[in-house]
Parts: sequence; C-alpha cells; structure tokens
Amino acid sequence: MALNENEKINEIDVNELDCRDTLTFWEKFGNIFRSKSIWMLHYCTGCGAMELPPTMTSRFDMERIGMAPMATPRQADVLLITGYLSVKTLRRIIYTYEQMQNPKYVVGFGSCTLNGGVYYDSYAVISRLDYYLPVDLYIAGCMPRPEAVMSGFKKLMDMIKKGEALGWKRYQKYYDWYKKNQVRALGEVYVKDEFHE
Amino acid sequence: MNFMNNIIEDIKSRFNPENTEIVKKNQIAIDFKNEEVHSALAYLKSQGWKQLTILTCVDWIKENKFQLVYILMNWDNSITIQVRTKIDRDNPKFRTVINIYPGAEMYERDVHEFFGVEFEGNPNHEKELFLELWDDLPPMRKDFDPLAYSKKKFDVREYKVDFIPKEGEAE
Repeated sequence: MALNENEKINEIDVNELDCRDTLTFWEKFGNIFRSKSIWMLHYCTGCGAMELPPTMTSRFDMERIGMAPMATPRQADVLLITGYLSVKTLRRIIYTYEQMQNPKYVVGFGSCTLNGGVYYDSYAVISRLDYYLPVDLYIAGCMPRPEAVMSGFKKLMDMIKKGEALGWKRYQKYYDWYKKNQVRALGEVYVKDEFHE
Repeated sequence: MNFMNNIIEDIKSRFNPENTEIVKKNQIAIDFKNEEVHSALAYLKSQGWKQLTILTCVDWIKENKFQLVYILMNWDNSITIQVRTKIDRDNPKFRTVINIYPGAEMYERDVHEFFGVEFEGNPNHEKELFLELWDDLPPMRKDFDPLAYSKKKFDVREYKVDFIPKEGEAE
C-alpha cells in the first residue's frame, strides 16, 4: 500500500467484547421480534439489485421469511449495498444510513464491496466498504444468486436473534474512525445538489 | 451511398474540410479546422441536423492533441454526421456552441470535467457535474493513472497468503 506509516489506519477488532449486547431478558426478547420482521431499504446501488426481484417474487418469495421492502430510510432496518459503490453514491449512502433508526444493519453484496472486484483500479469506486460503514454481513459472489441472497438473509436473522449484528453500535463507538475514513475518500461528507440550490 | 456523396460534395463546396470519410452506412465523418466548426455546425443545423447527439473528446496523447467530436443526427433521413476538430492539448480551449445547440451545455461541462477542456462563452463550464471535490488530473486523460489514484485514496483489503507452492507448482 502506498500509505505513509503515520497515515496508516489500523483495523478495528470486529468482535470486541465491550460493544456486545448486554442481553438482558427483554433485550433477548426484543432481538427475537426484530429478527422476525425486517424491512429493507429500497435503495440499491449496483448490479446486485438485479437479483432482488426474483428473490422477492413468487419463486423464492422473500416475504415468507418476514422481509419486505420499505421506501423510506426512517422506517427501514437493513441497508443493502448491492455491488459496486461509487464515491458519489457513497456520500448519499452515508446520509441515508445516518437517517435510519437504531438498530440498523448493513449487508454488502458481492466482491465489489469486499475488495473492489473488477473495479479495483477505478478512480470512482471505493475498494472496500467496511472502512466507511459498519458491515454486518457480506454475501459473496459476483453476483450472488437468489439462493445465496436468501441464505444470507437467513444468516442475518440468526445474527440479529443472537445479538451478534452490532454494526450500529460499532458505528457509534468508532464514529471518529469511520468519519476519518469517509473524509479521506470523499473530501467532505456534504451533498451538493445544484438542482435544489 | 450516392446521397451521402451529395452531402459531402455540398459541404466541400462551402467549407474546406481537412478530411471526409463515409464511416459506415448512414454515417459520415468530417474533420474541420478549428475556425470553421461553428459555421459548419450552424449550416448543418439549418439543413436538418437538428439534434446534437453527443459532444465528446478523444485524447491523442502522441500527437499532443485533443479531438472534439460533435455527433449530429438528422431525423428526416437518419444520417449521422460526426464533426471533428483537433485542438492543442497543452492549453485546451475552444469556443462554446451553446448558441447553436443549447443542449451542448451539459456535454461541455462533462468534457471539461473529464478532459480539462475549457469552453469560452459557456458560463457554467467549470461547475462540477459528476466528480465531486475532484483534486487530481482530469481522469479520462491518458496520462492519468487510475490504479495509483485508487491506491492513494481508497484502502485496499490485505490478504494473508498461506499457500506455499511446492516445487514445480505455479504460484
């Protein structure tokens, strides 16, 4: 990597103990209910969104496991990053993610969110997602088939039920670290919209 | 084909194009000098080429030139004309065509952003369109290195290599 030593960012420990759920009785109870009704945000960023219509419609029928699409960020639980994420979109994604209510979960689709995929040398596409947003679950593949997507969502539900999907707590705890990475890639996290100025 | 030749003859009788060619069926390419482009565009618009399909730019780095390509479309006879001209690469400046084709404003902003060509007379040509807070060479120039920029700006996942090849095995 072409970074200087003082610029270099150390990875944080994902499974660190002290941001684990306290898991009182009522929190366990709440986690069970959360895992049974997941609303995912209708904002898909890349080619992986193509796999969602077959997952939603009659052949795989996502709704039978308790997931449904939701139009607004304030009512949604899951943010899907489906495929490549460009710098311009990342700025909007951060805005959207910060509008969502706690608890909130991020799922990364495909190799582009893992390591850049075929866009590893692009000037406009970020190389890995978990430096900018806390990712709870990656679904591997380019692109993942609907079977893989369903199995990934099932895994996410298990994680929520056990209290392991704690990306939102990580984002609160290491907010400075995430913000530093975001600013480094974006310049500043501020949406300039000339059509509404 | 005869009809296409008539169009070329008509243009040759009015202007001094450097080169004309029939690229394929229904497509003509004409190279103009810099100062003739605007009058040629205005003439072609009056002859029915009312739609500017795209304005784009090609980087000829060995010749040290940028080539601006205006692609015009005629809806009556479905013939496409490429109006091309080459400008200096070191100080890329060209006069705007928004008084002839008002839709060119966004294309000129696009070309300015990705190649650094300045369009004199377009008041918005320096406004950013796609790249927000860009801080490097324009990215579509051939001397821009996207991999180096990506490594500088975005972090790469590092993998542990635990496969040790035996003798005769590929790495």
